[in-house]
Amino acid sequence: MSEAGHWFESDPLWFKHAVFYEIHVRGFFDGNADGMGDLRGVTDKLDYLEWLGIDCIWLLPMYPSPLRDGGYDIADFYDIHPDYGTVEDFRAFVDAAHQRQIRVIADLVMNHTSSDHPWFQEARSSPESPKRDWYVWSDTDDGYPDARVIFVDTEPSNWTWDPLAGQYYWHRFFSHQPDLNYENPEVQDEMLRVLRFWLDLGIDGFRLDAVPYLYEDEGTNCENLPRTHEYLKRVREEVDASYPDRVLLAEANQWPEDVVEYFGEGDECHMAFQFPIMPRMFMSLRREDATPMYEILERTPSLPDNCQWGLFLRNHDELTLEMVTDDERDYMYAEYAKDPRMKLNLGIRRRLAPLLDNGRDEIELMHAILFSLPGSPVLYYGDEIGMGDNVFLGDRDGVRTPMHWTGDRNGGFSTADFAQLYLPPLMDPVYGYAAVNVEAQLRTPTSLLRWLHRFVELRKQHPVFGLGTYEPLEPSNPRIFAHVRRWEEEIVLCVHNLARTAQAAELDLAEFDGLVPEEMFGQTRFPPIGELPYLLTFGARGFYWFRLVEEAAA
Amino acid sequence: MTSVRELVVALPEEELREFVLAQRWYGSKSDEVASVRAVDAFPLREEGEPLVAVAVVEVRFQSGTHDLYNVPVGLRRGAGGFASVDGWAAFDALEDEQLVLDLVGLIGAQATLEHEGGSLQFGVVDGVVAAGPVRAMGAEQSNTSVVLDETLVLKLYRKLEAGVNPELELLRFLTERDFPAIASLQGWAVHVGQPLDATLAILQDFVPVRDDGWALALKDLEAGGDGFVGLVRRLGEVTGAMHSVLASDAADPAFAPEEPSGEALALIVARIDEEIEQVFNSLPDEPALEPIAGRGDDLRGRLQEIGQSGSLGRLIRHHGDYHLGQVLWTENEDWVVLDFEGEPARPLRERRHKRSPLRDVAGMLRSFSYAASASELEYGVEPPPGWEGQVRSEFLAGYLAKVDPALVPADPSLERRLRLFELEKALYELHYELGHRPDWVRVPVAGILQLLDEPA
Repeated sequence: MSEAGHWFESDPLWFKHAVFYEIHVRGFFDGNADGMGDLRGVTDKLDYLEWLGIDCIWLLPMYPSPLRDGGYDIADFYDIHPDYGTVEDFRAFVDAAHQRQIRVIADLVMNHTSSDHPWFQEARSSPESPKRDWYVWSDTDDGYPDARVIFVDTEPSNWTWDPLAGQYYWHRFFSHQPDLNYENPEVQDEMLRVLRFWLDLGIDGFRLDAVPYLYEDEGTNCENLPRTHEYLKRVREEVDASYPDRVLLAEANQWPEDVVEYFGEGDECHMAFQFPIMPRMFMSLRREDATPMYEILERTPSLPDNCQWGLFLRNHDELTLEMVTDDERDYMYAEYAKDPRMKLNLGIRRRLAPLLDNGRDEIELMHAILFSLPGSPVLYYGDEIGMGDNVFLGDRDGVRTPMHWTGDRNGGFSTADFAQLYLPPLMDPVYGYAAVNVEAQLRTPTSLLRWLHRFVELRKQHPVFGLGTYEPLEPSNPRIFAHVRRWEEEIVLCVHNLARTAQAAELDLAEFDGLVPEEMFGQTRFPPIGELPYLLTFGARGFYWFRLVEEAAA
Repeated sequence: MTSVRELVVALPEEELREFVLAQRWYGSKSDEVASVRAVDAFPLREEGEPLVAVAVVEVRFQSGTHDLYNVPVGLRRGAGGFASVDGWAAFDALEDEQLVLDLVGLIGAQATLEHEGGSLQFGVVDGVVAAGPVRAMGAEQSNTSVVLDETLVLKLYRKLEAGVNPELELLRFLTERDFPAIASLQGWAVHVGQPLDATLAILQDFVPVRDDGWALALKDLEAGGDGFVGLVRRLGEVTGAMHSVLASDAADPAFAPEEPSGEALALIVARIDEEIEQVFNSLPDEPALEPIAGRGDDLRGRLQEIGQSGSLGRLIRHHGDYHLGQVLWTENEDWVVLDFEGEPARPLRERRHKRSPLRDVAGMLRSFSYAASASELEYGVEPPPGWEGQVRSEFLAGYLAKVDPALVPADPSLERRLRLFELEKALYELHYELGHRPDWVRVPVAGILQLLDEPA
């Protein structure tokens, strides 16, 4: 019996109604006073995460790495970066999390390794090297011309010349991240071994980074190829065979009809991020128009029963604008990235609070919409207290600064000298750690943190949000985003006002004639629903979540 | 021939529901139940008669959440029982003396019974002899306890929760260290595998009792109140010693004392603050509540005062539900502490948390208030003047004399932390009494008032 399951009831679909929390280990809490966050530090903060109501922690890559891409350039798949601790620290962390009924998944980069990885160093040393074929080599750099460059700000091409190897090698990301060659069965088998290593330590699953790019083929854009899906299905089969109740979460930033391919027929990845809807939530907010959200959800195919979306507002990367039209991208830059420093690649590198001008109403509304949608929410560390960002830091570091625990030195993140910290904490008057920190917000009943805690609790009390159907409504007012969620006996009506002005809207709820809307936070009953359109009025950025209940139960 | 597992899982829902919802140990609310069914069964006897299995009964609620219950079931051919399936009648296995002895026998034999998807595992501390007579132990609420030959108690946990029951952990820890003031652990029964790992039951010594602390306190008050004071100092000492032992193993991660994090105190304050908000938002309009009606914000303000930064001491494994009803005065003229399951109605992971030991102290201090009020409420006897104050200070003196000083903060933090946890307890009591014993509401109300109006 796998020990990972000791503290949980068997539930292969646990991820469908879970709240996830993304942690940048380096930035969370420093357990050994060396200026960098580590696994012991994260372990120390499990009480806080348990209070917040988190069901699953997602760790950003914690493997040995030269850190030229935040750890997504892995140099050893079977160890922990010494800055973060040891494999034993990892095992102890997972065990401690499990005892609090918190699960743990970690990033796993399947597509590429760091060029520092011994495999690549071996591969490039000679054309006869046994590892040569583990990577993708060519004498010319004109292969796969239809594959787009992803890091447009830094990479001129997907091919880079290696003088030692005497050939070009293929990389969809930075030139120091050569792609692994999945045509080679040795690579396929090795990656499965990697997965098993961490699963045996008790991990509950993986976020599979950059999966669309595993295979490449001439004459294609080298994304989402059929053999990529085949391999992922093989991974799923192996995991299912020996490790019950685990989750594979695909990072596939694609249009909806392409993302759903990663679920297969319920035999591939369990989860995938709902990338398409995320920028449209921000668009809808600025435009005060629910249409972009309705449209993308309409275009989103339904999932197999045993699969789930991962919903998010922000994460460790830039707010990606790859999957929007050019006009929409221009609009988003104009509205959300007025300072050109904020633009990176095809996105905007800002945290949630600064994106919303630190508007409390806006932050609440966006969370309400996020939590009302079908999927499992994924929160980004620090966004629960409204942390800010630092656009003057390079790459995406601006959104990866140390977590603010208290108003003390270094924001309570570390007892090391300020100069030792891996990145400076925010110190400005609006977002600095003296103003924005966990301790102060815990003590302030009206804080964002306390609000979000109640919100998470409410969502968890009602499995309908994770497990229910989604039925859009058509309010008379385009500024209102309204839909119905249904599961077993529960019917929930979620209505949100995107405008910064008061609004009124009528909803056709004739189907629910006779039921009474009961507001879910205060349990206040609203007038019963009739055959005629139901009128609701909203304050600026207001929203209601109603349970539709029988009149009789008073 | 259908297996015992198949038979149990096929028990008709109507009859099973009626049976379960009527049991004393059934702990959830009846009005939101959507379904009751046996979702799994762990076989104990698969041949002969009666067939026996541990039924895993799922009670599912309207919202879609559920609870799991531990229901050992015997099946006999014919009619009767609380339900029937396929010509077999189902009955509660713990009502059958021979089945109880068989269960204890499995513990003594350290048996392992495998089934598809998992196994039942029985363990023993030194050795046990399963002998009758067997009698039910009265007044059980969330569990079912059975006394064997006035020497052993089999305590069956009714709620099934994934992991290890804190009582098994704590009793094993204390028994291994020869802590005298407990009913020592003698054995256990657990399930490992699908659908969950869980502690099913423990076996412990039966302790011959003179009185529990509650009865002693009330008798004392009735008699004019001076005998109990002497016993209470000893209770404080036993409590201090218990905490010291529980905190004594830095090498065991489940028991090693911990330094609280920077936000630990703020987390406690946040939890209590939310509790105040919830309780005061839905406070009914009753005369007994009049003294505190509308004073929710005052209370939250007071909470901020007593929850100010300062030391929290260390966090350790502790009793979690400490009050006069949990301590027995034995025939050997000393105290024994019972019931290490932790705070009722809290999920298992919370009950296993390390917390400040002062929570246990606060629990006992509140209990003294309860005794003083009960004396008036139930027996019309007013406590002698200063009784409560005296009992409090004697208990604390005994406690501080024996507890490892590294575990608790010094004054003024000590006083403030005690007030904090007493407030937490009084709110819990208010919530409980409002739902169960409206007449008793005045007791936590008095406690809350005192905390409100006391000078800082």
